[in-house]
Amino acid sequence: MTTLLLFQTLVSGIILGALYGLIGCSLTIIYGTMRVVNFAHGDFVVAGCYAPLVLLGLLGLNPLLSIPLVFIGFFGLGMALYYLIMPRLRRADDPELASFLSFYGVSLMAGAAMLYFFDADTRSLNYSFHPSVLHIAGLLIPTARVVALAAGLVLIALLTWFLYRTLPGKALRATIMNPGAIGIIGVDINRLSGLAFGMAIGLAAVTGVLIALVFPAFGPFSGMDFTLIGFVVIVLGGLGHPVGAILGGVFYGLAEQLSILFLPQSLSPVVGFALLIGTVMLRPAGLFGRVGLR
Amino acid sequence: MSALLEVNDLRMVFGGVVAVHGLSFTVPQHSILGLIGVNGSGKSTVMHCINGLYHPTSGSIRFRGRELTGHKPHEIAAAGIGRTFQVPRLFRRMTLVENLMVPVLNDARPTAEIIERAEHMLAGVDLFHLRHNYAEELSGGQQKLVELLRVMMFDPELILLDEPFAGVHPSLCKVFIDQINRLSEQGKSFILVSHDLTSVYRLSRHILVLDQGEKIAEGGAEDIQDHPDVIEAFLGR
Repeated sequence: MTTLLLFQTLVSGIILGALYGLIGCSLTIIYGTMRVVNFAHGDFVVAGCYAPLVLLGLLGLNPLLSIPLVFIGFFGLGMALYYLIMPRLRRADDPELASFLSFYGVSLMAGAAMLYFFDADTRSLNYSFHPSVLHIAGLLIPTARVVALAAGLVLIALLTWFLYRTLPGKALRATIMNPGAIGIIGVDINRLSGLAFGMAIGLAAVTGVLIALVFPAFGPFSGMDFTLIGFVVIVLGGLGHPVGAILGGVFYGLAEQLSILFLPQSLSPVVGFALLIGTVMLRPAGLFGRVGLR
Repeated sequence: MSALLEVNDLRMVFGGVVAVHGLSFTVPQHSILGLIGVNGSGKSTVMHCINGLYHPTSGSIRFRGRELTGHKPHEIAAAGIGRTFQVPRLFRRMTLVENLMVPVLNDARPTAEIIERAEHMLAGVDLFHLRHNYAEELSGGQQKLVELLRVMMFDPELILLDEPFAGVHPSLCKVFIDQINRLSEQGKSFILVSHDLTSVYRLSRHILVLDQGEKIAEGGAEDIQDHPDVIEAFLGR
């Protein structure tokens, strides 16, 4: 094995990890603010994969230019879903379990809807950049991956700016830290949660656009894979910790890509879940979380 | 003085336990009402009912003539009632300035102006130098002070203080008391729940004593101190 191959793998791990981190970040915003276990999260990522396909086919729109449209559309969808489902979930005796079951149902429905519209065959985004491969420091990196990483970093920067520099972002972080304190200081937690849910679904779908650029194929039932990755990533990063989720995603991406390089192919999917179990056993607050964060 | 808050025949039942039993009282404008009683007497339950964390089983709570029961905590806060807790509910991994900014989420003023106000308030209690520290880095007493300032950011007319002096260093208690007096002079009203009877007697002209969810006495400090039911409730038969 050459050093070059190892570096190639590390770069791939970082690129994919940043995307996994974005999935985890949007998932943890929902869990952190609402204690909702969104088991349909990966389905919104997959729906986001299909979105540039549709926009490219219908309008000839460059996938990167489709990002704002996808975000706005899925933000609206997320808000609508929130107000449709959450009022009832909030009244449940065990909202976390109720949300888990409800969103499992949403996941099944989303999968069925995508099957109806896009058939069972896997699809790929028929869009290529020129040149298709970049030579960087002796490494060969597909341009689509570099573009996806750059777009992912821009999204992370925007998200960090929103969470740390704007008042609604600060309120969102405050809700994640102490949901019981937010209402008593006059902030409408329902409105804020609706905003958070819409934003997280929008972010999940935009991550899907970037995944469509990077992944060779996706299908209507790929959602569960992304949901599971999202959960692994947020446990790794620390539940309810958006920045931790990004770092957890990079950690997961590196572990996944290195395992493909070093382990038999059949064992590589196990690595992520071994990391999950190891984290839960040894560091329940996550790699970047803190005990008693809330 | 006209009543700012009117509580009438308030009753709160948890399963078979009657936590508050037909309680009535008023809080006049520009006043500090002391609410005392032994543990389990129902003080915190009354506070929870007023700020919407609990919905009373029956009875009414009117603030400036408007019925509060059934409203959500954020609506009650918006109506003009703030609240602090025995264990401060700060946003632990946010700076003090950020903690003070969250209540004014919907404020139309520029962010710089909001930050300036937050820093000015922190300076008023000698915490300006800690403005960029995380709330979790403060002592318990300092956290209680910041919680009071956070309440003041949305400028409520009535402030519910739940055990503000419990576990607080005497020097910080003095700062806290000075704050209460200063705000009282500015026209704010308070309901003060505390086990520190000396402070309650000093701050409140009118005191309400609860025992097992019922009012057993009310009046000035001098009336309460010698009241046989109060002595019995606090010291036992």
